[in-house]
Amino acid sequence: MNFVLRRVALALALVWIVATIVFIAIHLVPGDPAELLLSTGGTAPDPATVAQLRDRLGLDLPLSTQYLAFLQGLLRGDLGTSLVDDYPVLDEIALRLPRTLELIAAGTTLAILIGVPAGTWAALNRGGPFDRAASATAAFVLAIPVFVVGTLLILLLAQTLRVMPAGGYVPFARNPGQHLLLLTLPALAIAKGLTAVLFRMTRSSVLDVVGQDHVRTARAKGLHPSRVVLRHILRNALSPVLTVLGLHMGALLGGTVLVEYVFNWPGLSTPLLRAVEARDYPMVTGIILVVSTLFLTINLITDLLRAALDPRIRTA
Amino acid sequence: MVPTRRALLGGLATVPLLHHSARAQARPGFVRYGLSAFPPNLSPWDNTGASAGTVKMLLNRSLVAWNAKGELTGELATSWGLDDQGAWVFKLRQDVVFHNGEKLTAKDVAWTIEQVAGEKSTAHMRVQFQQLARVETPDPYTVRLVPKEKLATLPAWFANYNMHICWAGSDPRTPIGCGPYRLVRQERGTSIELAASPNYFKPGLPKLKGILFTAYPDENLRIAALRAGDLDMIEYVPWQAMASVETDARLRLDEVQGAAFMDILFNGTRPPFNNPLVRRAVAHAVKREDIVKVAFFGRGRPLEGVPIAPGTPYFDEQLSRGWAYDPARAKALLAEAGYASGIQAKMLATAQFGMHKDSAEIVQQYLAAIGIQVELQLPDWSTRVSLGTRGQYDLAVHGVAADSNDPDGLSVVMDTSLSNTHSRSFSLAAPRTSAAFAAGRAEFDLAKRVEIYKDLQRAALEEVPLVGLAWRSQGFGMDKRITGFKNLPGQLSTSSGNQLEYTDFA
Repeated sequence: MNFVLRRVALALALVWIVATIVFIAIHLVPGDPAELLLSTGGTAPDPATVAQLRDRLGLDLPLSTQYLAFLQGLLRGDLGTSLVDDYPVLDEIALRLPRTLELIAAGTTLAILIGVPAGTWAALNRGGPFDRAASATAAFVLAIPVFVVGTLLILLLAQTLRVMPAGGYVPFARNPGQHLLLLTLPALAIAKGLTAVLFRMTRSSVLDVVGQDHVRTARAKGLHPSRVVLRHILRNALSPVLTVLGLHMGALLGGTVLVEYVFNWPGLSTPLLRAVEARDYPMVTGIILVVSTLFLTINLITDLLRAALDPRIRTA
Repeated sequence: MVPTRRALLGGLATVPLLHHSARAQARPGFVRYGLSAFPPNLSPWDNTGASAGTVKMLLNRSLVAWNAKGELTGELATSWGLDDQGAWVFKLRQDVVFHNGEKLTAKDVAWTIEQVAGEKSTAHMRVQFQQLARVETPDPYTVRLVPKEKLATLPAWFANYNMHICWAGSDPRTPIGCGPYRLVRQERGTSIELAASPNYFKPGLPKLKGILFTAYPDENLRIAALRAGDLDMIEYVPWQAMASVETDARLRLDEVQGAAFMDILFNGTRPPFNNPLVRRAVAHAVKREDIVKVAFFGRGRPLEGVPIAPGTPYFDEQLSRGWAYDPARAKALLAEAGYASGIQAKMLATAQFGMHKDSAEIVQQYLAAIGIQVELQLPDWSTRVSLGTRGQYDLAVHGVAADSNDPDGLSVVMDTSLSNTHSRSFSLAAPRTSAAFAAGRAEFDLAKRVEIYKDLQRAALEEVPLVGLAWRSQGFGMDKRITGFKNLPGQLSTSSGNQLEYTDFA
C-alpha cells in the first residue's frame, strides 16, 4: 500500500510542477494574445483596440495574480476559458481528448496485433526468412518519419487510387462507416513506429525466455507447443514489453500532433498548436496539463501493473 | 493462409466500394468548401482573418459590397451619396429581414455603428467609425452619417468583411445578421454547416441549398482533399499546386494577380535605415523576379514601386518602376549616405510561412551584393508580430493585402503617421506620403484624387516608407461543375466569399 501511495503522491507533485513550468514558460514566450488575435490575416490592429482587449482578457494583471487565479481554478477543476473565443478549456479538452485517445487506442491495438505475434514468430524462428525480413522491415519503418508515411498514404490511397479519403473527421454517431474509414489512415500512420518497437522488444524478450529451464521443462513434459508459447514463454516475456508499451503510449500522445495535423484529425493536437500560435495561455496550459497527467497516469498504471506481476519491484 | 486467385479477385472487387464510401458525403446542391483556418469566432465586427470573413459574409450583409468587377454595389443600401453639408446619406432597402424575422430599419444601422465605434469595442473598423461626428436616422429607411472631417472613402468601409449590419435588438456578443445563409451547426475546430436562408432579400438567391465548411490548415492536405474528391472547393490554392489544378480535367483554378504583396519595412528610429538614401539603396538592390520564381513558383509579378493596383486610374506605368533593380545605383546611394564601406543589420521575418522566409533569404543575398550584410531572424509568426510592433529589428520582410484596391487602402501599410504596428515601418518619418493620404481621403473628385495619389507615389519613392518586392496571386480551386463563383480582382480577393451566394453546384 505504501508503494501505491508513494507513487500517487509523486505523480501529483509532478502534475503541479508541470503546471507551474508550463504556465511560466508560455508567459515568457514573446507575443501578445490580444494583438495576435486582432492581427489575424496580417492586418494591423489599432493599439487602443489591442489595449481594450488586453483589459477585457485580464492580461494586464500581474503575472503572480494570474498564477494564483490559475491555481485556484485548478483546485476547483476549472482550467479557465480560451482567450480567443471565451470557450471553456475543459469543454474543449472534453471534446477533443476522446478523439486523440481513440486514435491512440486504434494505433496501439494495431501495433499490438501486428507487433507481438510477429515478434514472437520471428524469435521462435530465429534466423529464418521471416525473422530476417521482419527485422529489416522494422528497422526501415522506424527510420521513416511519421509525416512521410502519412503523406505517402494520402498520395497513394487518396490522391492516386482514390480509395480512401485524404483526411478529416465525422462523428461516429453521425456516420459510423465514414468515421472508421477516416480513422484508418491516421491509425496506420501512428501504429507504424509502435509496431516496430513492439516487434523488436517481443522478439528480444522471447529469445531471452525461450532458452530458460522452465520452458525446456514444459516442452519435456510434452505440453502442446502453443501452450508452451502462450503460458510459459509469452507470459514471462511480456513484462518488459508491457513497460515499453506503457512508455510509448505516453509518447504517442506527443506523436499524435503530426498525425492529427497531416490527416486533419481534430484531436487535442490541433487546438494545442493553434493555442501556442495564438498565445492562448489558458488553452496551452490546460491541454499540456491534461496530457502530462495522462502520461503520468499511464506510467503510474504501468508501474503498478509491473509491481503486480513482479513482487520484487514493490520492495525495491 | 496461402493466397488464392479467388481471394485476390475478391479483394480487388472491394476497391470500388471503398471508393464510393470515401466520397459518400457529396450531396447535390451543397458545396463542401475547404477553409485554410477554422474561424476563431464569427463575430461580425472583430477581425479573425479572411477564412472567418468568408463565413461571416454569408451569415451577414452590409450596406454595400464589392461586386465581381471590384466595384461597390448596393446590398442593404439602394443608393448612397453626399448631401450639401458633406454627410453621407444611405437609403435602405425596405424588404430586408434578419434571420429572426425582424425587418431592417435605419435604427439597426445606427446600433451597429454604435457597437463598432464604442469605447469598449474591439471591432476591426473601430478607428474608422470613430471619425464620425454623429449618425442620424431621419426616417426608418434613411441613414445620415456625419463625419468629423471630409471623408471620400467612407462607403467602402461598409464593404469590409468585418463590418456587417446586425439587428438592433441582438445581444452584442451574438449579433443577428441577414445574410444569404444561416448557421445550422458548428463542429468546433472542424466544420461549420450553413443552410440557405428562406427569407433572404434577393430573389432566387442563394443558389446553393447549403455549404459545409471544413478547416484544412495544412495546404498540402487541402489540395489533396480537393483532388481526392473529399472537397468541392478550396481557398488559398498553394502556388506550387496551381499548375496541377489547371491541368486536372475535373478541376478549375480561379486565380487573380496582385491579391497581396510582399514588402520590406524599416526601423526609422536609428541609423542607418532612418536615412531615406539607405532605404532607396535597399529598394534598388533587389531583383524581384527571383522572389516571384522561388517564393511564388512564378505565380506573381515583381513590385518595383508603390503597391498601387494595376488597372485602376491611380496606376502609373513609369512610377510603378521607380525602384527598378539597379545595383550600381544602390551602391551609389549607399556611398552618398556615407555607408560606402557597408552596413551590418538584422532582418526580421518568420519561418512559419514559406513565402516570408524565401523572400527574406533572397533579399539577404541581394543586399549582401551591395555591401549590406544582413543577419536573418526567423522566429514563429507570433514572435514576429511582437518584435515588429515593438520595433525590435532593423529591416523586416512582411506580406500583406491592402483593405481595398483604392489607394487609401494602402494607408494601413504605408501611412507611418499612424501608430506603430508589425505591418508598418516603425516610427519612420514619411511626412509627404502621410499628407498625401490625408488629402486623398478628403477629395471627392476622381481626377483630383488621381493626381494626389500620383504625387503620393512620387513622395513615397523618395521617402521609402516601405519597399515593394512582389505581387502574389491568390487562387480558388474547385470542381468544374461549380458555377457562378468569381475570385474578386486584386486585393479584394479575400472578399470573394460574398460570391458564394451566386455559386451553384449541379
